Amino acid sequence: MTIVDGVQVDLKPEELKQAEKMLRKKPNAVEVGMIDIMWSEHCSYKSSRPILKLLPRKGARVVVGPGYDAGVVDIGDDYVAVFKIESHNHPSAIEPYNGAATGIGGIIRDILCMGARPIALLDPLRFGSLKSPHSRWLFKYVVKGIADYGNCTGIPTVRGEVEFDESFESNCLVNVTCVGIAKKGDIFLAEAKYPGDAVVLAGGSTGRDGIHGVTFASRTLTEESEEDRPAVQVGDPFTKKLIIDATLEILKTGFVHGLKDLGGGGLTCASSEMANKGGTGIDIEVSKVHLREKGLTPFDIMLSESQERMLFIVDPSGVETVTGILNKYGLAWSNVGKVTESNHVNVFSNGSLVAKVPAKLLAEAPIIERKVEKPSYIDTLQAVEKPPMPEDLSEILIKLMASENIASKEWVYRQYDHEVGVRSVVKCGEGDAGVLRILGEDKGIAVSSDCNSKHCYLDPYNGGAGAVAESCRNVAAVGALPIAIVDGLNFGNPEKADVFWQFKEAVRGISDMCKIMQIPCVGGNVSFYNEDEVTKKAVKPTSIVVALGVLNTLKNIITLTFKNVNDYVVLLGETLSEMGGSEYYYSIYGIEGGIAPKVDMQREKSTIDLVLSAIQKNYVNAAHDCSKGGLGAALSLMSIKSNHSIEIDLSKINMGNLRLDELLFSESNSRFIVTTPESNVDNLLKLAKTRGVPAYRIGNVSSSSRVVFRYEDNEIVNCDLKDIKTAWEKTIPSFMGR
Amino acid sequence: MDNYVLEIVIENKPAARDPEGETILRDLMNQNGFEMVKNVRSGKFLRVNLEAESREEAKSIVYRMCNDLRIFNPVIHVVTINVKD
Amino acid sequence: MKVAVIRFPGSNCDLDAVYVLRNVVGLETELVWHKDFNDGDFDAVILPGGFSYGDALRAGVIAAYSPAMKRVKEMAKEGKPVLGICNGFQTLVESGLLSGALLRNDCLTFICKWVTLRVDNTETMFTNIMERGQIVRMPIAHNEGRYYNDAEALREMEENHQIVFRYSDDNGRLTPDSNPNGSVENIAGICNLEGNIVGLMPHPERASEQILSPFKTDHGRLLFESMINTIKRMRRM
Repeated sequence: MTIVDGVQVDLKPEELKQAEKMLRKKPNAVEVGMIDIMWSEHCSYKSSRPILKLLPRKGARVVVGPGYDAGVVDIGDDYVAVFKIESHNHPSAIEPYNGAATGIGGIIRDILCMGARPIALLDPLRFGSLKSPHSRWLFKYVVKGIADYGNCTGIPTVRGEVEFDESFESNCLVNVTCVGIAKKGDIFLAEAKYPGDAVVLAGGSTGRDGIHGVTFASRTLTEESEEDRPAVQVGDPFTKKLIIDATLEILKTGFVHGLKDLGGGGLTCASSEMANKGGTGIDIEVSKVHLREKGLTPFDIMLSESQERMLFIVDPSGVETVTGILNKYGLAWSNVGKVTESNHVNVFSNGSLVAKVPAKLLAEAPIIERKVEKPSYIDTLQAVEKPPMPEDLSEILIKLMASENIASKEWVYRQYDHEVGVRSVVKCGEGDAGVLRILGEDKGIAVSSDCNSKHCYLDPYNGGAGAVAESCRNVAAVGALPIAIVDGLNFGNPEKADVFWQFKEAVRGISDMCKIMQIPCVGGNVSFYNEDEVTKKAVKPTSIVVALGVLNTLKNIITLTFKNVNDYVVLLGETLSEMGGSEYYYSIYGIEGGIAPKVDMQREKSTIDLVLSAIQKNYVNAAHDCSKGGLGAALSLMSIKSNHSIEIDLSKINMGNLRLDELLFSESNSRFIVTTPESNVDNLLKLAKTRGVPAYRIGNVSSSSRVVFRYEDNEIVNCDLKDIKTAWEKTIPSFMGR
Repeated sequence: MDNYVLEIVIENKPAARDPEGETILRDLMNQNGFEMVKNVRSGKFLRVNLEAESREEAKSIVYRMCNDLRIFNPVIHVVTINVKD
Repeated sequence: MKVAVIRFPGSNCDLDAVYVLRNVVGLETELVWHKDFNDGDFDAVILPGGFSYGDALRAGVIAAYSPAMKRVKEMAKEGKPVLGICNGFQTLVESGLLSGALLRNDCLTFICKWVTLRVDNTETMFTNIMERGQIVRMPIAHNEGRYYNDAEALREMEENHQIVFRYSDDNGRLTPDSNPNGSVENIAGICNLEGNIVGLMPHPERASEQILSPFKTDHGRLLFESMINTIKRMRRM
């Protein structure tokens, strides 16, 4: 950390020198503060921008790509879906309730300021093992924070995931996603295009909150962080709800030309980004800003990260109408400035100019080239000895279903209102993706967020590609065509070459997979510095992908429950000996290494296309993809959810050199379990053959109460469905006390 | 050993917002005839009965408990502990 | 025939109620901002679910002082149908229009799940097309849904047929397992003496279309259709 004029900044001396050169003057304290925050990693993406360029951003359906508050994709019939992912890792690690709550608050604003109504939330989360009291504390309060905030604002949390791993013990990952719907013509951009327009700040009043919160996210957590104050703001979902209602009403007036929410970087970020995108400048008079505390300096006001604030760029003739609506909802507001032709962000305090910085300089921080170096652990961990073949696979299956990462997450989603909005057609726990209908139309969208951080750790390229593959599979399993993704990338310290190698590989994997799937990435988030300052241990690289799919009718939505006794169970896809990073290796043997599952990208696409065709042709009536815990876990989950068991003959599968435990628990990609009635099984198998996708008729839905896997005449697994169900259901509640 | 009764109040730090307190002040009290109320802070209240050798020990036990068991989070909360007479 | 759905600051099931009333039940419905609900010729009024005032202090307590409640009380006195769903129920209780209190769920967390209800009173304005003992399915989603009243008041309510819905199993038995939040006597919904004001914690607007129900039921419609039935009857008189 450097000190400039008594101001503590996180920029390195070289960066400050560069800023001075670009400004052609020595910046004063306010200007330094503004540049410091805008050039922080969290705000500027200075390390990641060159790598993120690899991601495909274009496509026929892309209405707004990366670079704005959220991505916008065309879903047909004049509707667009708007979605974005954000992280709130560092605040949540020290104050989980408010950290997670304000994370939700932030992502909702990102969707709202595109002009869309937020209609769903997803919460991909990562914590240390629940065996640790600290992780239990974080888990409990993060979920409560998300629940209280999401429920109060009336936005259903329809899908999520939780991973537990030691590497997240002191650096939990709280990534939140929001999805919105709008008509194409209703989309707004965060641009200040017209000089003379008024700049109206609305919502929460400004205080000293979070000053240097953004730079805080770009530092690793230390003992001092627990004392850092006020680094975490208090969420206020009531005000947020009023802002949502007021904003949607205001946008209908036609007087708003641009809209942006105030998040990281506060007023500095919002004004500079809007001016830069609009090719204009903005003048701010800080004395006009409605404040919560006395004695705030211009520095404080420009850097504050007080919550629940929106910036409206309003046609001067419409200011009265717009502020009238704000008054109706009891929201505070102030007319703080105007758009100018100047290309600068000029900050005035009672008429005196206190800061003047070009908008472009603030909004486009110089890129930092980071070094990459493949870490040595990659090759070391690949060479791991195979564990012995277990004696009792029934016992292993039950133990696996009870492991933290596979066990039921109902404890989490029962706390979320996943039905408000009357759009939730497939709810938490019913299918592989959350499905929301478009009100008044026979149309819907499906969303899923996925990442396997153990896979990413062993093989970041295939882990990244695998996240795209898994989330697209989940969307396809309900019958929706995946059309776009956003990615939430969480890594350690980018100044370390091995971490930056992981990051680059993961992005390459995501890019390549998107290109094969012909799906653009329309936005995302990068969170660096997720590393324990004391141990220097980084989190496992976590490249979360949220896929969004379109359903052109609601009449053929597929869930994962069996529909009829005697229906055939068909496995689509090939299983390989790719045990590295598997839940089986980790929870049964404590093995971290091995060869992680690769993604055969063409095969993945063919399999997904096959499933979509099969669903469209009514050949299948249930579908579930294979992921954590492999084939064994997938079949067990379907049985548990259906309360119906299955009789499976594993010898029907092409095993190659696989051992039985590998066949059951390998986490190879590109696989689905589907069920189909007798009348359609031949059609399904024929279709699979023409598409070049391996398909194996492995058994039937049965009416016994036992889950049975055979290999020809030998019984390999024979469990009471009740036992598997109980084991799967009770793990999380037993850790959390109810 | 004597029996002591202590009252624990957990509130958000003065520098942090308290949206619940603000809502109660603005929308319940000031709106309905009690404009003279200027500020409201909300919090959680626990009344604890315990055995200790002295008032001081009782207070110190409760402080330690609040820290060890994360009854409050020092990042966002302040805690007030009073021994009842 | 026209009904009002009141939006309080923080209501979030108001649009859901309007959508269902207009599109599923086919009723002319107006969404009215609470400050504007002082006149208008409405045949019925619905207080929707949500988190009015962020549930500050206690769910429904601040909304109970809204100027809108003056008109709601008048409409109630005129014998018009008044329905309180979830947060609306909490507001009716806090404003004295319905008896009892709604406390924090005994499990201390928010719960969102589908429950089974037994219809115990078919003489209210919202249950007159149902059958006594009928089993219906609806979802709940609340933090403070535990109904409480003292023993004497409960006795009176029983005698006066004021218990409308109870949490039950599929056979109508009032088991502890079927009670999601610890409500006394498994009470999920009640009415006033006259039977024109009904409050319930479950959400009928989320249970009015088969596509949204895990059971492919649409029992929520029955409440709204009973209301229409009532209004038609009243207009004929």
